[in-house]
Amino acid sequence: MGDAIVYVVDDDPSIRRSLERLLRAAGHTVETFVSAREFLERADLGVRGCLLLDVRMPGQSGLELQFVLEAAGHRIPLIFITGHADVPMAQQALQAGAVDLLAKPFDADALLGAVARALAASQQPA
Amino acid sequence: MTSAATLTRTSGIRVAVTALAVFLGYYAGANFGFFLRLPPSTPSVIWPPNAILTATLLLTAPRRWPLYLAAAFPAHLLAELGRDWSAPLVLAYFATNCSEALIAAVSIRWLGDVPGRFDTLRRVGVFIFGAVFLGPFLSSFLDAGVTALHGESYWTVWKYRFFSNMLTELTVVPAVVTGVAAGRQWLGRVPVRRRLEALGLAVVVVVLSVVAFGTSDYGAMPGGARTPLAFLLPFLLWAAVRFGPGGASLAMLTTTVVAISMVMHHYAEPTRDEIVSLQVFIGVIAAPLMCLAALIEERRRAQEALAESLRFEEMLSRLSAAFVHLQSHEMDAAFDSWLQRLGESLHLDHVILRRAGSPHQPAITHSWSAPGVRTVPPVCAANWPLTGDTEGRRLRRDQALLLLRSSRTPPMADGRLPGPLESNLTLPLVARGQILGHLVLDPITLPRSVKSISALRLLAGVFAGALARKEAEDALRTSEAMKSAILTSLSTGVAVLDREGHIVAVNESWSRFVRADSALWDRAIGIGSSYLDAWRTAARKGVPHASDALAGIESVLARSRRTFAFEYADGLSPADYWIALSVVPLDRPEGGAVVSHTEVTERKRAEMEAQRSRQELAHFTRVSTMGELTASLAHELSQPLSGILTNAQAAQRFLAGTAPDLAEVRAILSDIVDDDKRAGEVIQRLRDLLRKSDLSRVPLDLNTLISDVARLLSSDAVIRNVAFVLELNAKPATVSGDRVELQQVILNLLLNAMEAMAETNGADRTIVLRTGNTDVDAVHVAIEDAGPGLGPDAERYIFEPFYTTKPAGMGMGLSIARSIVLAHDGLIWATNNPAHGATFHLALPLCSVLVG
Repeated sequence: MGDAIVYVVDDDPSIRRSLERLLRAAGHTVETFVSAREFLERADLGVRGCLLLDVRMPGQSGLELQFVLEAAGHRIPLIFITGHADVPMAQQALQAGAVDLLAKPFDADALLGAVARALAASQQPA
Repeated sequence: MTSAATLTRTSGIRVAVTALAVFLGYYAGANFGFFLRLPPSTPSVIWPPNAILTATLLLTAPRRWPLYLAAAFPAHLLAELGRDWSAPLVLAYFATNCSEALIAAVSIRWLGDVPGRFDTLRRVGVFIFGAVFLGPFLSSFLDAGVTALHGESYWTVWKYRFFSNMLTELTVVPAVVTGVAAGRQWLGRVPVRRRLEALGLAVVVVVLSVVAFGTSDYGAMPGGARTPLAFLLPFLLWAAVRFGPGGASLAMLTTTVVAISMVMHHYAEPTRDEIVSLQVFIGVIAAPLMCLAALIEERRRAQEALAESLRFEEMLSRLSAAFVHLQSHEMDAAFDSWLQRLGESLHLDHVILRRAGSPHQPAITHSWSAPGVRTVPPVCAANWPLTGDTEGRRLRRDQALLLLRSSRTPPMADGRLPGPLESNLTLPLVARGQILGHLVLDPITLPRSVKSISALRLLAGVFAGALARKEAEDALRTSEAMKSAILTSLSTGVAVLDREGHIVAVNESWSRFVRADSALWDRAIGIGSSYLDAWRTAARKGVPHASDALAGIESVLARSRRTFAFEYADGLSPADYWIALSVVPLDRPEGGAVVSHTEVTERKRAEMEAQRSRQELAHFTRVSTMGELTASLAHELSQPLSGILTNAQAAQRFLAGTAPDLAEVRAILSDIVDDDKRAGEVIQRLRDLLRKSDLSRVPLDLNTLISDVARLLSSDAVIRNVAFVLELNAKPATVSGDRVELQQVILNLLLNAMEAMAETNGADRTIVLRTGNTDVDAVHVAIEDAGPGLGPDAERYIFEPFYTTKPAGMGMGLSIARSIVLAHDGLIWATNNPAHGATFHLALPLCSVLVG
């Protein structure tokens, strides 16, 4: 894995911190962002990795960020996490290329499995 | 037969009787004149016919004069034809006789004020000039001329006739006129003592005249020391002083007749010139005597008038004093007795007091009639006040009304003459600008003491004042009786307190509210006991709210507050027996208050029932609102739960390592605790909202409450892509209220705002929540959305139940919000924003206890 980075975008500090800890404990390199906007400004999109994204956030939502990244040509694998899994939105996200969608609260193994799949996907040549 | 014919007949009879009297008087006078004649001189020594004609003309209207002169004509012919005169001479003498009477009557009418009266010096003077001097003086030229044709000396005849007729006019006319005027009175009302006095005086005058003129020759009489003549003078003066001009002239007539008879028939033949000197002598005594009598009469009348005027004024002052201290129930008797005194004092036939019952139907309430006088015909009472005609209009105005018996007055249906009340004086009784009735004085011939209508107006003023006071007192008594009846009929217990809070009066229902067996009162409290002490005792016993009630009642008694209203429960269970207490101050200088207790148990029960229904409905809608919020609540809960799970699993992984980072684990546990608390809070808020309210009012900060609700809805806002902006007042906005219910108001308003904005896709997606204090001790909350705003007229309907614009809405949210706000003594309303969207406002009274 080594240089792959897991990006986390969530407005909830508790969620951000707990995800960072779990991913670090599993051996990943983690970077967290409060909002989609901060991610777009600060994240190094050239690095291999995946993005853990909250669907609903104040300001730009997760789906909007997905759209922006798609439009900019960044094909970073996306894992959506959501407080309430409503079916239409999940379909929309998956159709747009998301790797996985996790409903809160989610099990650590489910998350780590999804991250592993995403990182694997990111290693495949585009 | 019509009444007009009756009138004509009555007057015709009177004229005929007068004519007959003239005829008889003339005939008798002429014969008497012939009896006292000194032939060959033609003029008699006394010639009464001319004086009788003069008296007739003075007593009658000029239009009747030709008739009466014509009546005298046959008497003239009868007396003079057959004497030694030719017929033309007899006719000529009638003409001269008539001329004397006409000259006298015309000149007296022309110069004097009232012909035929001798009661003032002026009237006697005019009489002496006209009848005694001018008539004989001028007519004697004619008479002497006629007689001179007969062969006598012109100037001798003139002289003899002038003096004879002068004396006759002087003595006969006043005697006849007074006799006609006063004769009827002398037949009736004069007391026996006065009759005896007149008779005695007449006898003395006759005797003394006989003695004075019959006991010596008349030649030395005028200058001689004839003692009997000197004795006669005091009795002539007596007659003048005691019996007036009439008595004086009658006495002088007697003296003259006796003197001339005596001189002419019992003594040696007197010459005609001696007779003239006797005539002059008697005339000189008679004229001043007449004047003296007139003066004395004038003075007497003036004194009488003064005395009567004083009596009238005294009566007036007694009258006004009499009514001052009378109670209204004593006034009726007083009115009766004073009408009688008034009638007797003013010599009236009737005095009537009419009360203005209604403008068209006044009622005679008091009346008095002189003894022997017919009572007032009922027709007069019924027909008044002559509605529609001039008199009626004048009666309704503030004017005295004089009704004269006149030809205009129609006779009554049965042909009788109009009743006595047809000639009267009606005085309006005016008090405070209002006509209370009329005082009727009948007949209008009032004594001289009443100088003018204004004196009678004073009289009327006293009656009016008394009447006004009576009416006012009667009205007051009626009003008192009504109030007392109202108080008795009330089921409310009413008590009147003095300034110190002692009960001074209660109504019948009062005792039901202060039973000794109630929980509030130790013993029954009634008149005399202290109402305030009763409340103090209750407050000491710890009766709920007793001290509040006590403070309120005391503040009204101390005038520090206008009114006080309070509701309290009396009885073992608060819901058993509810009483509304109200205290209003008494508007009087000595202070005090009126306390009323009304049982309001039924109303209270209904109120509580309504409140319970409202709360249940509110709770039901809260529960259903929670259903709408499930998604948002799930998110709200899943956040901390997700954090906890992830943190816990991260910790497990850390601890599974060879050298676990304990600091990291500690931080994880701390986050877990925080997240758990967060989840707990969400659940607690949810539970709060789903709880049934317990009707409790507690002071709470509206700013905190609004923040809590906004936080509860924050996930929902995120889902709906709406942002809340809180612009809350820095100062706490403390109101007294039910927390759950007020939360529901804010919740409903926020949901409403968010739903409104779901329909729009504008760039502005914020809802502003604002609080601020108003200047009327209230907190103002504004919730400003950016939705489509309110439709026209929507402001009137949006708070009505089941009014909704949303397909799935029940239309209860705003209605419930309003009922809650109103139950908190607040207001709720909505306005459109200038740009877009609507603002919902609510105002709630600040809780003064904590703010102060």
